[in-house]
Amino acid sequence: MNEQDEALKQLLQRAAPAATDRELKHDLWPEMRQRLERPPVRIPWGDWALAAALLLCLLLFPQTIPAVLYLL
Amino acid sequence: MVEVELERFTRGDIQAFEALFRQYQGEVYGWIMRIVHDSGAAEDLTIETFWRIYRACARFDPSRSFGAWARRIATNLALEHLSRRRPEKPLDHDFPIRGPGTGTPDPAMAADVRAKVLAAFDELPAKLRVAVRLALIEERPYAEIADALGISTNGVKSRVFRAIRRLRKSLEKRGVRP
Repeated sequence: MNEQDEALKQLLQRAAPAATDRELKHDLWPEMRQRLERPPVRIPWGDWALAAALLLCLLLFPQTIPAVLYLL
Repeated sequence: MVEVELERFTRGDIQAFEALFRQYQGEVYGWIMRIVHDSGAAEDLTIETFWRIYRACARFDPSRSFGAWARRIATNLALEHLSRRRPEKPLDHDFPIRGPGTGTPDPAMAADVRAKVLAAFDELPAKLRVAVRLALIEERPYAEIADALGISTNGVKSRVFRAIRRLRKSLEKRGVRP
Protein backbone atom coordinates (compact mmCIF):
# COMPACT_ATOMS: atom_id res chain seq x y z
CA MET A 1 0.00 0.00 0.00
CA ASN A 2 1.53 3.33 -1.05
CA GLU A 3 1.50 6.56 0.92
CA GLN A 4 -1.62 7.91 -0.81
CA ASP A 5 -3.55 4.70 -0.16
CA GLU A 6 -2.42 4.77 3.46
CA ALA A 7 -3.71 8.35 3.77
CA LEU A 8 -7.06 7.30 2.33
CA LYS A 9 -7.21 4.38 4.76
CA GLN A 10 -6.55 6.75 7.69
CA LEU A 11 -9.29 9.06 6.43
CA LEU A 12 -11.76 6.17 6.23
CA GLN A 13 -10.85 4.93 9.69
CA ARG A 14 -11.34 8.40 11.15
CA ALA A 15 -14.71 8.91 9.42
CA ALA A 16 -16.14 5.41 9.90
CA PRO A 17 -14.33 3.69 12.77
CA ALA A 18 -14.29 -0.06 13.20
CA ALA A 19 -17.13 -1.72 15.08
CA THR A 20 -16.16 -1.71 18.74
CA ASP A 21 -19.16 -3.34 20.36
CA ARG A 22 -19.29 -6.75 18.75
CA GLU A 23 -20.45 -8.66 21.81
CA LEU A 24 -23.84 -10.31 21.59
CA LYS A 25 -25.98 -8.87 24.41
CA HIS A 26 -28.40 -11.76 24.81
CA ASP A 27 -28.95 -15.34 23.79
CA LEU A 28 -30.68 -15.49 20.41
CA TRP A 29 -31.80 -19.11 20.80
CA PRO A 30 -35.42 -18.26 21.81
CA GLU A 31 -35.82 -16.23 18.56
CA MET A 32 -34.14 -18.99 16.60
CA ARG A 33 -36.49 -21.55 18.13
CA GLN A 34 -39.50 -19.41 17.13
CA ARG A 35 -38.15 -19.18 13.61
CA LEU A 36 -37.72 -22.95 13.42
CA GLU A 37 -41.26 -23.53 14.65
CA ARG A 38 -42.83 -21.09 12.21
CA PRO A 39 -44.75 -23.07 9.57
CA PRO A 40 -43.19 -22.88 6.11
CA VAL A 41 -44.75 -20.43 3.68
CA ARG A 42 -47.14 -22.29 1.37
CA ILE A 43 -47.83 -20.95 -2.10
CA PRO A 44 -51.54 -21.33 -2.98
CA TRP A 45 -52.26 -23.64 -5.93
CA GLY A 46 -53.84 -20.74 -7.79
CA ASP A 47 -50.48 -18.93 -7.84
CA TRP A 48 -48.78 -22.04 -9.22
CA ALA A 49 -51.45 -22.28 -11.94
CA LEU A 50 -50.99 -18.59 -12.81
CA ALA A 51 -47.20 -18.99 -13.01
CA ALA A 52 -47.61 -22.09 -15.22
CA ALA A 53 -50.03 -20.24 -17.51
CA LEU A 54 -47.63 -17.31 -17.80
CA LEU A 55 -44.74 -19.63 -18.60
CA LEU A 56 -46.81 -21.39 -21.24
CA CYS A 57 -47.75 -18.05 -22.80
CA LEU A 58 -44.09 -17.01 -22.91
CA LEU A 59 -43.15 -20.30 -24.55
CA LEU A 60 -45.91 -20.05 -27.15
CA PHE A 61 -45.48 -16.32 -27.80
CA PRO A 62 -41.81 -15.46 -27.12
CA GLN A 63 -42.28 -12.05 -28.76
CA THR A 64 -44.17 -11.00 -25.59
CA ILE A 65 -41.08 -11.55 -23.36
CA PRO A 66 -39.78 -7.93 -23.68
CA ALA A 67 -43.25 -6.58 -22.80
CA VAL A 68 -43.48 -8.85 -19.74
CA LEU A 69 -39.97 -7.86 -18.64
CA TYR A 70 -40.90 -4.19 -19.06
CA LEU A 71 -43.96 -4.63 -16.84
CA LEU A 72 -42.03 -6.42 -14.08
CA MET B 1 -17.46 -29.69 18.77
CA VAL B 2 -16.74 -33.35 18.10
CA GLU B 3 -17.32 -34.83 14.69
CA VAL B 4 -20.03 -37.15 16.02
CA GLU B 5 -22.14 -34.17 17.02
CA LEU B 6 -21.54 -32.49 13.69
CA GLU B 7 -22.74 -35.65 12.02
CA ARG B 8 -25.87 -35.60 14.15
CA PHE B 9 -26.41 -32.04 12.97
CA THR B 10 -26.15 -33.09 9.31
CA ARG B 11 -29.01 -35.51 9.97
CA GLY B 12 -31.15 -32.60 11.20
CA ASP B 13 -30.83 -33.32 14.94
CA ILE B 14 -32.25 -30.22 16.65
CA GLN B 15 -30.23 -30.71 19.86
CA ALA B 16 -26.98 -30.84 17.92
CA PHE B 17 -28.08 -27.72 16.04
CA GLU B 18 -28.88 -25.95 19.32
CA ALA B 19 -25.43 -26.80 20.67
CA LEU B 20 -23.83 -25.42 17.49
CA PHE B 21 -26.01 -22.33 17.65
CA ARG B 22 -25.04 -21.60 21.24
CA GLN B 23 -21.39 -22.14 20.47
CA TYR B 24 -21.21 -19.99 17.33
CA GLN B 25 -23.93 -17.33 17.66
CA GLY B 26 -21.55 -14.78 19.26
CA GLU B 27 -18.87 -15.33 16.63
CA VAL B 28 -21.33 -15.04 13.74
CA TYR B 29 -22.95 -11.94 15.27
CA GLY B 30 -19.55 -10.28 15.80
CA TRP B 31 -18.54 -10.96 12.20
CA ILE B 32 -21.80 -9.55 10.84
CA MET B 33 -21.38 -6.48 13.07
CA ARG B 34 -18.04 -5.81 11.40
CA ILE B 35 -19.83 -5.62 8.06
CA VAL B 36 -23.19 -3.97 8.77
CA HIS B 37 -22.37 -1.83 11.86
CA ASP B 38 -25.95 -2.12 13.11
CA SER B 39 -26.72 -4.29 16.14
CA GLY B 40 -30.43 -4.80 15.28
CA ALA B 41 -29.69 -5.86 11.72
CA ALA B 42 -26.82 -8.04 12.93
CA GLU B 43 -29.16 -9.95 15.28
CA ASP B 44 -31.70 -10.52 12.49
CA LEU B 45 -28.97 -11.60 10.09
CA THR B 46 -27.51 -13.98 12.69
CA ILE B 47 -30.90 -15.71 13.00
CA GLU B 48 -31.24 -15.81 9.21
CA THR B 49 -27.73 -17.26 8.89
CA PHE B 50 -28.51 -20.11 11.27
CA TRP B 51 -31.90 -20.66 9.61
CA ARG B 52 -30.12 -21.21 6.29
CA ILE B 53 -27.53 -23.38 8.01
CA TYR B 54 -30.28 -25.56 9.46
CA ARG B 55 -32.04 -25.89 6.12
CA ALA B 56 -28.75 -26.83 4.43
CA CYS B 57 -27.59 -29.18 7.21
CA ALA B 58 -27.49 -32.22 4.93
CA ARG B 59 -25.00 -30.47 2.64
CA PHE B 60 -22.48 -29.81 5.43
CA ASP B 61 -19.33 -31.92 5.43
CA PRO B 62 -18.54 -32.72 9.12
CA SER B 63 -14.83 -32.99 8.37
CA ARG B 64 -14.72 -29.27 7.48
CA SER B 65 -14.87 -26.20 9.71
CA PHE B 66 -18.38 -25.32 10.82
CA GLY B 67 -17.24 -21.80 11.81
CA ALA B 68 -15.84 -21.05 8.35
CA TRP B 69 -19.04 -22.34 6.71
CA ALA B 70 -21.21 -20.22 9.00
CA ARG B 71 -19.05 -17.17 8.35
CA ARG B 72 -19.40 -17.54 4.58
CA ILE B 73 -23.19 -17.79 4.80
CA ALA B 74 -23.25 -14.81 7.17
CA THR B 75 -21.08 -12.76 4.82
CA ASN B 76 -23.36 -13.46 1.85
CA LEU B 77 -26.39 -12.41 3.88
CA ALA B 78 -24.68 -9.25 5.13
CA LEU B 79 -23.77 -8.42 1.52
CA GLU B 80 -27.40 -8.90 0.44
CA HIS B 81 -28.46 -6.65 3.32
CA LEU B 82 -26.04 -3.91 2.26
CA SER B 83 -27.13 -4.19 -1.38
CA ARG B 84 -30.76 -3.68 -0.40
CA ARG B 85 -30.11 -0.83 2.02
CA ARG B 86 -29.43 2.40 0.20
CA PRO B 87 -29.17 5.80 1.89
CA GLU B 88 -32.67 7.26 2.11
CA LYS B 89 -31.47 10.79 1.54
CA PRO B 90 -28.30 12.43 0.30
CA LEU B 91 -25.68 12.35 3.02
CA ASP B 92 -25.04 15.75 4.53
CA HIS B 93 -24.09 17.31 7.83
CA ASP B 94 -27.06 15.68 9.57
CA PHE B 95 -25.99 12.17 8.61
CA PRO B 96 -25.87 10.04 11.76
CA ILE B 97 -22.15 9.50 11.97
CA ARG B 98 -22.17 7.05 14.83
CA GLY B 99 -24.24 3.92 14.48
CA PRO B 100 -24.98 1.62 17.40
CA GLY B 101 -21.95 -0.49 18.22
CA THR B 102 -19.49 1.51 16.17
CA GLY B 103 -16.45 3.38 17.37
CA THR B 104 -16.43 7.13 17.89
CA PRO B 105 -15.36 9.10 14.83
CA ASP B 106 -12.37 11.38 15.19
CA PRO B 107 -13.74 14.64 16.71
CA ALA B 108 -10.86 16.55 15.11
CA MET B 109 -12.20 15.68 11.67
CA ALA B 110 -14.39 18.40 10.16
CA ALA B 111 -18.03 17.33 9.93
CA ASP B 112 -18.28 18.20 6.24
CA VAL B 113 -15.17 16.17 5.38
CA ARG B 114 -16.53 13.22 7.36
CA ALA B 115 -19.89 13.48 5.58
CA LYS B 116 -18.15 13.56 2.20
CA VAL B 117 -16.02 10.53 3.04
CA LEU B 118 -19.09 8.60 4.20
CA ALA B 119 -21.05 9.65 1.12
CA ALA B 120 -18.24 8.46 -1.16
CA PHE B 121 -18.02 5.21 0.78
CA ASP B 122 -21.77 4.65 0.59
CA GLU B 123 -21.69 5.13 -3.18
CA LEU B 124 -19.48 2.06 -3.62
CA PRO B 125 -21.15 -1.18 -4.72
CA ALA B 126 -21.83 -3.46 -1.75
CA LYS B 127 -19.12 -5.95 -2.75
CA LEU B 128 -16.44 -3.25 -2.76
CA ARG B 129 -17.81 -1.70 0.44
CA VAL B 130 -17.51 -5.01 2.29
CA ALA B 131 -13.96 -5.53 1.03
CA VAL B 132 -12.93 -2.02 2.14
CA ARG B 133 -14.69 -2.30 5.48
CA LEU B 134 -13.08 -5.61 6.35
CA ALA B 135 -9.63 -4.94 4.89
CA LEU B 136 -9.04 -1.25 5.58
CA ILE B 137 -11.36 -0.31 8.44
CA GLU B 138 -11.55 -3.56 10.43
CA GLU B 139 -8.04 -4.56 9.27
CA ARG B 140 -8.83 -8.26 8.92
CA PRO B 141 -6.27 -10.46 7.14
CA TYR B 142 -6.86 -10.85 3.39
CA ALA B 143 -6.95 -14.66 3.71
CA GLU B 144 -9.76 -14.45 6.28
CA ILE B 145 -11.76 -12.05 4.07
CA ALA B 146 -11.19 -14.26 1.03
CA ASP B 147 -12.46 -17.30 2.89
CA ALA B 148 -15.57 -15.46 4.09
CA LEU B 149 -16.35 -14.08 0.63
CA GLY B 150 -15.56 -17.37 -1.12
CA ILE B 151 -13.02 -15.75 -3.44
CA SER B 152 -9.22 -15.83 -3.75
CA THR B 153 -6.88 -13.54 -1.80
CA ASN B 154 -6.02 -11.85 -5.10
CA GLY B 155 -9.73 -11.32 -5.65
CA VAL B 156 -9.95 -9.45 -2.35
CA LYS B 157 -6.89 -7.36 -3.21
CA SER B 158 -8.44 -6.52 -6.57
CA ARG B 159 -11.70 -5.40 -4.93
CA VAL B 160 -9.82 -3.24 -2.42
CA PHE B 161 -7.73 -1.73 -5.23
CA ARG B 162 -10.82 -0.92 -7.32
CA ALA B 163 -12.58 0.52 -4.29
CA ILE B 164 -9.63 2.76 -3.44
CA ARG B 165 -9.51 4.05 -7.02
CA ARG B 166 -13.24 4.82 -7.02
CA LEU B 167 -13.11 6.38 -3.56
CA ARG B 168 -10.26 8.65 -4.55
CA LYS B 169 -12.09 9.83 -7.69
CA SER B 170 -15.30 10.36 -5.76
CA LEU B 171 -13.53 12.32 -3.01
CA GLU B 172 -11.66 14.47 -5.50
CA LYS B 173 -15.00 15.38 -7.09
CA ARG B 174 -16.16 16.47 -3.64
CA GLY B 175 -13.03 18.53 -3.09
CA VAL B 176 -11.41 16.17 -0.57
CA ARG B 177 -7.82 15.16 -1.26
CA PRO B 178 -6.58 12.46 1.10
